[in-house]
Amino acid sequence: MFNVTKITIRRLVLISTIATLGSLFLMVASILFPGPLLLVVAMSMGQVLGVSSLVLYLLAIALDLQGYGEHDELGQAGSAGSGTGGE
Amino acid sequence: MFELHSTEDVLRLSALSSAVIAIAILVYYLAVRPPLGRATKVVLLFGLGVMPLAVSLAGNISGFEYTLRRDFCGSCHVMRPYVEDASDPASKSLASIHSRNAAFGPESCYTCHADYQIFGAMTTKANGLKHLYYYITEYANTGPYGEGGKPIHMYKEFQNGMCVRCHSTEAPRWAAVEDHAGMIEDIRKGDAKCIDCHTGEKIHPRAFAHGGNGKAPAPAGEQKE
Repeated sequence: MFNVTKITIRRLVLISTIATLGSLFLMVASILFPGPLLLVVAMSMGQVLGVSSLVLYLLAIALDLQGYGEHDELGQAGSAGSGTGGE
Repeated sequence: MFELHSTEDVLRLSALSSAVIAIAILVYYLAVRPPLGRATKVVLLFGLGVMPLAVSLAGNISGFEYTLRRDFCGSCHVMRPYVEDASDPASKSLASIHSRNAAFGPESCYTCHADYQIFGAMTTKANGLKHLYYYITEYANTGPYGEGGKPIHMYKEFQNGMCVRCHSTEAPRWAAVEDHAGMIEDIRKGDAKCIDCHTGEKIHPRAFAHGGNGKAPAPAGEQKE
């Protein structure tokens, strides 16, 4: 159904990383400037974003461990060149 | 900024330390983009999972603790008439007298207004979300003391249980007050409300809802403003 490649896995990790940075930004801002609105946003959106990004990362790792993308062309190139880092 | 005076300060510091570690890991990953080998996965698990969870946990607890404080209540300008009076050492209002008591201290708003039940903290904080909604939709553009907004009222009537936690109705000096003695059983049963006599203008005299104008009475006002 889905064509999962090494690039897909790398993108999942990339999205997860950026989303986590966003959630950390919200949480740190709420600690440094604890106003009502910021606290509510950090405790709701910030944590939803953080948990979602962790789930995305774990999904990426699970796909990687299952060997998705091992045999696609880019994956082989990536494996030959720099492990699984071929994006 | 980060003098450690309380558990809340320690939690804030540990949350910020964890955030710095997580951000360092994630920025390094974005800048270098190393191959997704085993070591990278483990390090990323710390940056994406372990450290953000620590930030979230410590940040939530310290954030919740902060929401108990009078400073936090006063961060919405419509609460200025209440918070300035409660913090005024010269005020004779009930809110101020109680706030000067160490048992209430900087958490005096929460101590008196939190629901006194098993899930009291949760229902109080859920009501806090309602406060935020009304603040944004109805009070955000009111005057510096909330002038022009609808009078602020409680969601439900103030219960005697909040008072009798400390004023147990058993102390001889309390029972000797003529008005108390005449209705002591009604007070204990909750049929007579403490706030029927100790009314809003005696508790929060500056509040618009209780006939105040938001500011301190003239002489004290000249000194403060």
